[in-house]
Amino acid sequence: MTTPTSPAPTADIDIHRLTALADVMLPAAHGMPAVSEVKAVESYLPQVLGWRKDLHQPLVRAVDALDPSLFSIDRLSALHEEDEDAYVALTTAVAACYYLSPVVRELIGYPGQAAKTYDPFAYTEWVAEGLLDPVVDRGPIWREVPG
Amino acid sequence: MTYRADVLIIGAGASGGVAARHLAEHGFDVVCLEQGDWPDRSAFPGARPDWELAIRKDWAMSPNVRNRPEDYPVVHDDSDIEPLMYNAVGGSMIIYAGTWPRMLPSDFRVRTMDGVADDWPIAHSDLVPYYNAIDQQIGVSGLAGDPAYPPHDDYPLPPLPLGAAGRRVAEGHNRLGWHWWPEPNAILSAPYDGRRPCVQRGVCTSGCAEGAKASTDLTHWPKATAAGARLITGARVSRITIDPRGLATGAVWLDRSGVEHHQEADVVILAANAIGTARLLLLSADDRHCPDGLANSSGLVGRRLMMHPFSVVTGWWDDQVEGWQGHFGASITSYQFYETDPDREFVRGAKWALSPVGGPLNHILPMRAGNEVWGRDHHELMGRTFGRGASWAIFGEDLPEEPNRVDLDPVRTDSHGIPAPRVSYRISDHSRRLMAFQEARAEESLRASGCRETAVASMIPYSGWHLMGTARMGNDSASSVVNSRQQAHDVPNLYIADASVFVTSSGVNPTCTITALALRTADLLVQHRSEQKVPA
Ligand SMILES: Cc1cc2nc3c(=O)[nH]c(=O)nc-3n(C[C@H](O)[C@H](O)[C@H](O)COP(=O)(O)OP(=O)(O)OC[C@H]3O[C@@H](n4cnc5c(N)ncnc54)[C@H](O)[C@@H]3O)c2cc1C
Ligand code: SF4
Repeated sequence: MTTPTSPAPTADIDIHRLTALADVMLPAAHGMPAVSEVKAVESYLPQVLGWRKDLHQPLVRAVDALDPSLFSIDRLSALHEEDEDAYVALTTAVAACYYLSPVVRELIGYPGQAAKTYDPFAYTEWVAEGLLDPVVDRGPIWREVPG
Repeated sequence: MTYRADVLIIGAGASGGVAARHLAEHGFDVVCLEQGDWPDRSAFPGARPDWELAIRKDWAMSPNVRNRPEDYPVVHDDSDIEPLMYNAVGGSMIIYAGTWPRMLPSDFRVRTMDGVADDWPIAHSDLVPYYNAIDQQIGVSGLAGDPAYPPHDDYPLPPLPLGAAGRRVAEGHNRLGWHWWPEPNAILSAPYDGRRPCVQRGVCTSGCAEGAKASTDLTHWPKATAAGARLITGARVSRITIDPRGLATGAVWLDRSGVEHHQEADVVILAANAIGTARLLLLSADDRHCPDGLANSSGLVGRRLMMHPFSVVTGWWDDQVEGWQGHFGASITSYQFYETDPDREFVRGAKWALSPVGGPLNHILPMRAGNEVWGRDHHELMGRTFGRGASWAIFGEDLPEEPNRVDLDPVRTDSHGIPAPRVSYRISDHSRRLMAFQEARAEESLRASGCRETAVASMIPYSGWHLMGTARMGNDSASSVVNSRQQAHDVPNLYIADASVFVTSSGVNPTCTITALALRTADLLVQHRSEQKVPA
């Protein structure tokens, strides 16, 4: 079962090579930074692979299989066809590292799955306001059955 | 000396928990065998940074992906839908969404009303007292008065928040003149029965660490064990045993280290869900009494599996609605297209439930609606959609068909070497017409609610959360497995408490009805105690 785990060793993964691949997948554009700009892979990959040990070997395969100097989104799609597990490991690891970055989270306005408080009786306001009235006014829509 | 219980329950999930509590509180000596463990809420991943990674592996909805020792594999190579479940005390409720609708009167009479499938041997009115009682036991939040339903008792708790998206879609439906209502959820909106209310974290389908979402490990098992029920975890049942008269005598089970035990009982109740129960009945075949499986003289054990074809229609607004936040059950529901309309190319209909869309990984590595987009366009897509959406989850009524079935796989086994269940299931052309209609209407709904963009994920395979029909109820032993008390026609001291007994699926989430039926079965067992046949 996944529980808070210690970071995994990543010595068998060429972080520079993976970062170069990740920059093609998530480049700087539309006001968002590239993966390398927020140091997402070097900062978070050990933790991501600590959480998801099953991604480690297929990720190694993906990094070995892809040449950063020739890498493109088309090549990524080809990897999907050739080795689905490697594709899933690469896309999952890159996305997870990127969206763990506080800079990226701030930019997309995502605080994480936060706890919120609310007034459980606030519904009386929208009921009083008449939000449900049209539904109620149309009357029952269920069908009577014989017997 | 062997110890014989009054009642042996197999499975400590939704139906098992409800039956155990009622029977124990009425003086029965109850033993329950559950292959999983008590859930450890401190291990639930929802509040952790790895939540979206965990739900793709160790906390996946699919037992095949989780692959924990307590899970059994479900072979589904020949199925359009992948069965999903959770194996623990609390059962699949640990990861369910918690929407808690009742079935409707017409759901029990589809043959009479619409000329398809079969009527149930019981009516909606038979279940009303049990629906009312179960709502109190569970702690349901909702609002009475929904004109899609016959009038019924008020819910114990006020409805959960509509949220920004729910409010917008409610207004959109008012513009269209379409039905909507706050969804009843088995999730606390306020403190209840010693439990804390929902904090809207939106991670319900990977376990509710707050304990706001009802599951029987919280709502029923503590009370059942306090009343004397014995719950044995890590106990995987391999078969039900029978005596020469054809009565059930108990069950053989294996502990975590593979040591075999036998639990004797006067009465056996199966509560292992519609796949686990069918599997056990088939595993209990006996050359002399029941070569085709226990309680299977009708040949219907495992057949008529229904799983609700499921589509997701997502809409995105121009501005933020915090689309990752809010209880995952549903904020609002719509029954506008639930009942049969003779002008359509199908009968019956679907229920819609409005849900959040999840965090960033769910947007870019979608398990429901949407596509993966990489490169520069990725950021454009995220900027356009993230936090701005909500999804109509559409559950279409699934009509029973005998070829849709569970049987035993000839090769694959669980970790104890017990044959795995194999599911063969095809979505029918009728369902495809029904779902196409609903999807188009749901896009209209979201556009009318102000969404700029919509997308349909049609009949997604990873959606077998509602498992029903594999040991149907009926009055005729030639065409059903159990009678209206959920007692096996062939084995009078064997009962089935779970959704295997469903005659038809309705178009609503089943657990409210599963638990009401389990309570009714247990209650009738109490009432008819003196007449119950038991082994010598
Ligand atoms: C992701 C997800 C979301 C869902 N959302 C909703 C929802 O919003 N609303 C709704 O109404 N329903 C929902 N459901 C369905 C709901 O969880 C089930 O309908 C309900 O839990 C079924 O109850 P049950 O008692 O039949 O089986 P379960 O709750 O599945 O319990 C069966 C138990 O039997 C045990 N068992 C099985 N075989 C054996 C064996 N051989 N030996 C020992 N023990 C065994 C299992 O370990 C399990 O604990 C959802 C389900 C999933 C997976
Ligand atoms: S949203 Fe509510 S019910 Fe769902 S996990 Fe959070 S607290 Fe529990």
